[in-house]
Amino acid sequence: MTAAWAMVRHRFASFAGTFVAVFLGVAVVAGSAALHLSSRPQAPARYDEAPVLITPPDPGTGDDRDRQSWTAEQAAALSTRLGELEGVTAAVPDPWFYVQRVEGGRPVGDPQTALQDGHAWSSATLGSYRLTGGRAPSAPGEVVLGTASPAGTPPSQTTAGGTRAWTPGGEPKTGNTTGPTSESPARRTTFGQQAGPGRATASGTVEVLTSAGPEEWRVTGTVDGPGFYVSDREAARRASGVRVLGLTVTGDPQRVADAARAVVGAAGVVRSGAERDALEPNAVTRIRWIGAQLLIALVMLGAFATVFVVSSTCALSAAQRRRELGLLRAVGATPGQVRRMMYGETALIALVAGLLGAPAGMVAAPLLADPMVRTGLEPAGFTVTWQPAAFAGAVVLGLFVALAGVTAAARRASRISPLDALREAAADPRSMTPARWVVGLLCGAAGAALLAAMPSLPLETRSSAGLGAAMLLLSSAALLSPVLIVPLVRVVARPWRSTATGMLVREGTLTGVRRVASTAAPVLATVGLTVLLAGTVATIEVATGIDETARYPAGNVLVPDGTPGLSAAAVTAQGAEPELTTRVLISRGDRTSGMSVTGRGDALILDRISAAQLGARGGDTVTIRFADGVEAKLQVAGVEDESSVPRSLVRQHDPDALTGMLVLTKEAVAVPGARSVPIHEFVMAEIDEEGQLIDLFLLALIGLTAGYTAIAVGNTLLMATAARRSEFRALRLAGAGTGQVLRVVTVEALLTVGVGAILGGLVAVVSLAGVRAAVEDEIGRDITLVVPWGATAAVTVLCAGLAVIATAFPVLKTAPANS
Amino acid sequence: MTDHGTPAVELRAATRTYGTGERAVTALDRVDARFEPGTFTAVMGPSGSGKSTLLHCAAGLDRLSGGEVVIDGVPVGNLSERALTRLRRSRVGFVFQAFNLVPALTAAQNVALPLRLAGRRPEPGAVTAMLAEVGLAGRERHRPSELSGGQQQRVAIARALVSRPAVLFADEPTGALDAASGAAVLRLLRAAVDHHRQTIVMVTHDPLAAATADRVLFLADGRVFDELPGGAGAERIALRIAHAQHTVVAR
Ligand SMILES: Nc1ncnc2c1ncn2[C@@H]1O[C@H](COP(=O)(O)OP(=O)(O)OP(=O)(O)O)[C@@H](O)[C@H]1O
Ligand SMILES: [Mg+2]
Repeated sequence: MTAAWAMVRHRFASFAGTFVAVFLGVAVVAGSAALHLSSRPQAPARYDEAPVLITPPDPGTGDDRDRQSWTAEQAAALSTRLGELEGVTAAVPDPWFYVQRVEGGRPVGDPQTALQDGHAWSSATLGSYRLTGGRAPSAPGEVVLGTASPAGTPPSQTTAGGTRAWTPGGEPKTGNTTGPTSESPARRTTFGQQAGPGRATASGTVEVLTSAGPEEWRVTGTVDGPGFYVSDREAARRASGVRVLGLTVTGDPQRVADAARAVVGAAGVVRSGAERDALEPNAVTRIRWIGAQLLIALVMLGAFATVFVVSSTCALSAAQRRRELGLLRAVGATPGQVRRMMYGETALIALVAGLLGAPAGMVAAPLLADPMVRTGLEPAGFTVTWQPAAFAGAVVLGLFVALAGVTAAARRASRISPLDALREAAADPRSMTPARWVVGLLCGAAGAALLAAMPSLPLETRSSAGLGAAMLLLSSAALLSPVLIVPLVRVVARPWRSTATGMLVREGTLTGVRRVASTAAPVLATVGLTVLLAGTVATIEVATGIDETARYPAGNVLVPDGTPGLSAAAVTAQGAEPELTTRVLISRGDRTSGMSVTGRGDALILDRISAAQLGARGGDTVTIRFADGVEAKLQVAGVEDESSVPRSLVRQHDPDALTGMLVLTKEAVAVPGARSVPIHEFVMAEIDEEGQLIDLFLLALIGLTAGYTAIAVGNTLLMATAARRSEFRALRLAGAGTGQVLRVVTVEALLTVGVGAILGGLVAVVSLAGVRAAVEDEIGRDITLVVPWGATAAVTVLCAGLAVIATAFPVLKTAPANS
Repeated sequence: MTDHGTPAVELRAATRTYGTGERAVTALDRVDARFEPGTFTAVMGPSGSGKSTLLHCAAGLDRLSGGEVVIDGVPVGNLSERALTRLRRSRVGFVFQAFNLVPALTAAQNVALPLRLAGRRPEPGAVTAMLAEVGLAGRERHRPSELSGGQQQRVAIARALVSRPAVLFADEPTGALDAASGAAVLRLLRAAVDHHRQTIVMVTHDPLAAATADRVLFLADGRVFDELPGGAGAERIALRIAHAQHTVVAR
């Protein structure tokens, strides 16, 4: 180990490649992991005072949307029984419904959050929200306005002006309400956007949009929590069943939870402690999921790039130190000792780099929190917390990845003969070893197999499989690159073979094939990954573009405008019937199937797949459970392409349902929360939205890999050229001017970049072909392969520029001042 | 010097060929040689005669194609790379013509390297004493780049001697040095033989250097063709060499 330390100290330059690679890799992994681990599901702040939450049973269809509801009656009965338990101070059902504030004729706030913004007044107790003025709602059309804004920022224009205006001398009647009484000043940050602080108009009314349409509610009071609170009866009428029941308790919540379990039995799931966090709203879960995809991809690429760069720089530095290692062998180092020394050096470097890189990543992570929230990759209020596991994990990963990277070089170094100490120049007699052939071909075969298997893989795993295949192919290309370097150099150098530069470049590269391979490897990775990522997105974008437009005829559609869906009024204003989509659970015998159905006509129609699943045919009777928890027996009228249930039943059992969009047959009538757009534009907007997210992903991933590997390009070339200083000195002694030496190294560097770019491009195109095959299989139609020439050219030029700078620098540094 | 039982190194019908077929070169051709403990042998011969090959094979740095090398009673032919390295570490010292030192390590660290590689801690003062013996007291903390060629060569000799090997091989140790530095190195080697009964085998082109040895072996075309006592003097040695070159040219 002392020898390893001395080596590292003395030749830090030749370890700089490894250091930089591990530093960056660990920083990326630590930062991404910290972001990822900080993004945990969390029960809404609305339930902060309810340590025990109960949800209806899970039908076990594996789909979250099939989580059942209790009917209002079931929920009431259950809460009565639970309220009698010892230690339970209140058992409160929490029905919710869609309410969105309208300001100046336009809906405001986040549409997804608005889906759960309407509450029963009694549920305010679950978050310990208190009336800050006025009285509780009691009659239909009365509302208590939430005044809390999200992320803990104090509401700017709250009750002060507005409230006073509508409660002149109004007695707060808190005694009548189930409103909470306990104080809870410290409130956790809430996820999700709020419509903004409640602001009553001077007349004491507020304009809102619900599933029925625009409404004007009378404000009777304000509360220090977010949302809209209506009377319990109103809430029950508007909500599609009850999906959560909360208990406020005194004493040990765990004991209460156990007692509740006995009472609830199979009628629900009792959640306490961390299990409560499963109640995170779906909208938030989805946002976090998207963010997680990006972070996982970042970690994967970061780890891969580290292995890749470390292995090529280690191979390079081992080759450069051939004489030194030979000397060690001659002096009495066994092959094992040489190998262990290489491992020791790398471990040392990786540890130092990791211990510096991990804090760098951890420091950078919180800076990314805001941009991620803004771009919809993390929910509002997302903050990065200190994650020791991310720190330690990244350092350990960096260590292992670096050791994995040095394995091949260490093995090769241990076979160096003591007599190598006597050989002046480390000419590579054998650029391809059997092991290199075997591993290279195996990687290539595995990558090709993975690509070929892509169409048969499940959709979710395809993108990872594509990336994995590309990584295997890139490794294979890097390993087999010496095979290509020799003929390529011969061909390229041919026209100049009679000039001194031509001869020097040719011989310099042909005797240093391994060196060229090592320096070309980062270029290969940079170009390969960039082209693959950009090409995949471009190909898919083109494919989906065709796909989505193909589905719609010409004309206009009415689409939600700042809302999660179209209200009933918006649809009826057009003279159409709402096309409500609802989630139902249909069972026949012991088979159950959850499905999304549209309310249409007045008979139950099943689609073929569901019918087959249930084993149902026309005339059979099935049990259908609606969104509000009510079960009904219906006769299957027929089996067709699409499922539908009677429209009246959907309206009745899913009062909170919204219409997705409406194809217009005539000029649209203007309504709040909806706008009419040409179908084509609508589709493009959808694609655009998706495209923006994908572009963001792309930018992050390409930025990471290209930036990372580009640093490695510069680094390895700097290393390689610096080690050849004596060679250049000899060239100068032989009469070459600095200009000539520069020309030789520049041409060599460009040749190296050329080799890397060609191989990288090749790998990317092969992988792209695989991706295209998978997409074609998915949409059942031929699509064109898009090669992103712009990105390819840009990244190649970037690499070339870096390479020239990195090679010229050491040459100029050793140049005598007078030449 | 006379026979003392086990020789420090013995070569029996040692043959080393490089390459195969048309391009095969026989660098050593059935060489028999014994190097007795406490003797100083010089090996001479024209360029390409196989001197370095002989030294490398005798030192266990290279393997024979045929025949046998016995170092301090141990036949090395069947040893594994690891076992051979260990044998070399404890019984053999080697000084190359140049590039003997690990640039990253100080003079003292370079000297202590074989001991450390053997997992032994050098006795306190041993390294300093060794460096003082080669006239480099006070240079312990200098790195090779801060030492002259002759000083580097002396550090290399100190390193080769520190483990008290059964035999020290030196391949043109004075080849890259000026006359004064060369003479200092030769005195050092002679002193090791006289005071510590060190066995030394040295390749040299310099008849003066060869004259400091007890015995001079002459090599031509991979074969030992003659032998003189070192006391024969530089002139006779030079003559013999000229003769050897003549034979090679005549063939
Ligand atoms: N690794 C090798 N591969 C092929 N041939 C070799 C190799 N090493 C030595 N030879 C050949 O073996 C023969 C003996 O070489 P050797 O280095 O032992 O000569 P030498 O006597 O030390 O010469 P010099 O005085 O020039 O150092 C020469 O013909 C040389 O070309
Ligand atoms: Mg020689």
